[in-house]
Amino acid sequence: MTMTELTPPAVAAKQPRKQRRRRAAITHDRSVFRGIGLVLLWLFVALNIAWMIWMVIQAFRDTRSILDNPWGLPTSLDPVNFVTAWTVGDFATATLNSVVTTTVSSLLTVAVAAPAAYYLSRVENRLTRSLTMYFVLGLGIPAQVILIPLFVMLNEVYLTDSLIGLNMVYIGVSMPFTVFLLTAFFRSLPLEMEEAAALDGTTAFGTFWRITLPLAKGGILTAFVLQVISHWNETLLALTLLQSTEKYTLPVALISFIQQQTYSGADWGGLFAGLCIVVIPMLIIYLWLGRRLTEGLTLGMGK
Amino acid sequence: MTETARMIGAKSASGSATPTGRRAGGNAIDRGRKRLFVPFVGPAFLFYTILFVVPSLYAVWISFNEWSGGDDMTFVGFKNYVRLFSDDLFVQSFVNTLLLLFVVGIAIFVIAFGLTLVLRDMVARKVARSVIFFPHLVNAMIFGVLAGFIFNPGGLVNKLLGGLGVTEPPAWLAHENLFPLIMVMMTWITTGYFTTILMAGVDRIPPYYYEDCALAGANAWQRLRYVILPLTWDVFATCAVLWTISSVKIFEIIWVFGGSTGQGMPPTQTWTVAVYTYVTAFSGQSIPAYGAATASAVLSLAVISILVVLLRRATKRDAVEF
Repeated sequence: MTMTELTPPAVAAKQPRKQRRRRAAITHDRSVFRGIGLVLLWLFVALNIAWMIWMVIQAFRDTRSILDNPWGLPTSLDPVNFVTAWTVGDFATATLNSVVTTTVSSLLTVAVAAPAAYYLSRVENRLTRSLTMYFVLGLGIPAQVILIPLFVMLNEVYLTDSLIGLNMVYIGVSMPFTVFLLTAFFRSLPLEMEEAAALDGTTAFGTFWRITLPLAKGGILTAFVLQVISHWNETLLALTLLQSTEKYTLPVALISFIQQQTYSGADWGGLFAGLCIVVIPMLIIYLWLGRRLTEGLTLGMGK
Repeated sequence: MTETARMIGAKSASGSATPTGRRAGGNAIDRGRKRLFVPFVGPAFLFYTILFVVPSLYAVWISFNEWSGGDDMTFVGFKNYVRLFSDDLFVQSFVNTLLLLFVVGIAIFVIAFGLTLVLRDMVARKVARSVIFFPHLVNAMIFGVLAGFIFNPGGLVNKLLGGLGVTEPPAWLAHENLFPLIMVMMTWITTGYFTTILMAGVDRIPPYYYEDCALAGANAWQRLRYVILPLTWDVFATCAVLWTISSVKIFEIIWVFGGSTGQGMPPTQTWTVAVYTYVTAFSGQSIPAYGAATASAVLSLAVISILVVLLRRATKRDAVEF
């Protein structure tokens, strides 16, 4: 009792002193360097916002006025460029392909990786330690190494130029990162509830399904969204494995749109509309889940 | 397993089983879990092995062969590797990759660290930090296309320079200028990501270290040298490894850089190893040389491995506990 009564004033007394001291330390180096640094930082921040604004603005202008005055503003909000990109550039099919591929492969990636990560985080023996290493090693292999073998192997089983093949490749390629991330995440969860459930006679699978998964919702959502982002943006494998226009995902469609323009003259307006279609979903996801994503991407980095 | 879990497990086991059984099989929870090995780890293991590990090993095998994709696979030993280094295109791609790895890498780290120090205690740091992180989530291709818009003869930069009285701006998108521009763009879009990671490290330093610095009368440089750097050393090491791995994969931004400047393929001055691999195998303009293409990819993997091992050696310090 006395302890609890004593603590708040003690804390309250400590807090301002800490702050004052810290502020004193900071004012100490309000130097020229810091000033320059601050200016540069805000310029950098402005640049990172400006490119997006420019991109959206130019998507509403026609090519001639863009080339005439790249700093200009659109005269109307006519989405004609989006219509061009959607129809001429075949972005409609590509968007559908990208949405389906991204969603399916990310869902399956997490569905396959989560149980494995759970097992590897809960059972400690020589086998699981080497398996964890085995998965982590994949983090260091760049995609271009498996490009040609994958193409040859999938060709054997008629899975090139197929979205099913691409989905499977994405799942396989995403295993190292997702297993790594989720293993770290499961390790950070408290064990008490699982133990209590096990004592109550729940099976090991039931414990995972009814106790751990609900507890791990946040981490699993993060893993899922990180996969959505990386599969949405993946270019090299899609470019290699897909050949027919109706199978193209968005990055591949964008590349083919750019290459068409080499022959038909640059359509900057349409191009910017295409860029918007690729970028804006990522922006929405980031605005929705921002902090969680940065935490996911930096998880375990400090260790 | 924590100590409590082991004790609880032991207690529950002693209720039902004999002491000998307990000693032999670990605790009840563990035994239950072990039965899940195949259904839980199996699928992930299969997907990863078949679609990632097997292709990687197969790549090593292909790189020792001459092969155009048909039935003509012939074993040639290290010939593909030897030939790579007499191929000017490969040497250029390799040099470009190393330039990205080292020059851009150093630029990123200097800038990111500088930004971290500024961000550490400024107003609206969270906003600034989230904004500069975003380019990491965007396909690098977008920035390649934007570069065409920014630097084309009637583009943003030249209009701006024209306004300032510069009448003859440099030919930004001339082939020899493209690669330096790519390096600048890469620095721009990657710095935010590493700043965020470094910030996570700097944020973990407890404030009393700074207080102690202030009490001891340390200046900003000493604080950096004796507090911030030693305590974020691990994070730096991790970032260096991350950048090494990701810089060797750079492909998209090169492939479309400058918008429609290329004829379906970027100018050779800008090639990286990833581009070289792709073009050698799939350009459709010459007989595909799967052996040489895979050899270049395997070689870049070897470079990554060596660098990562060296980096780990070089950055190994006794961890500072705090």
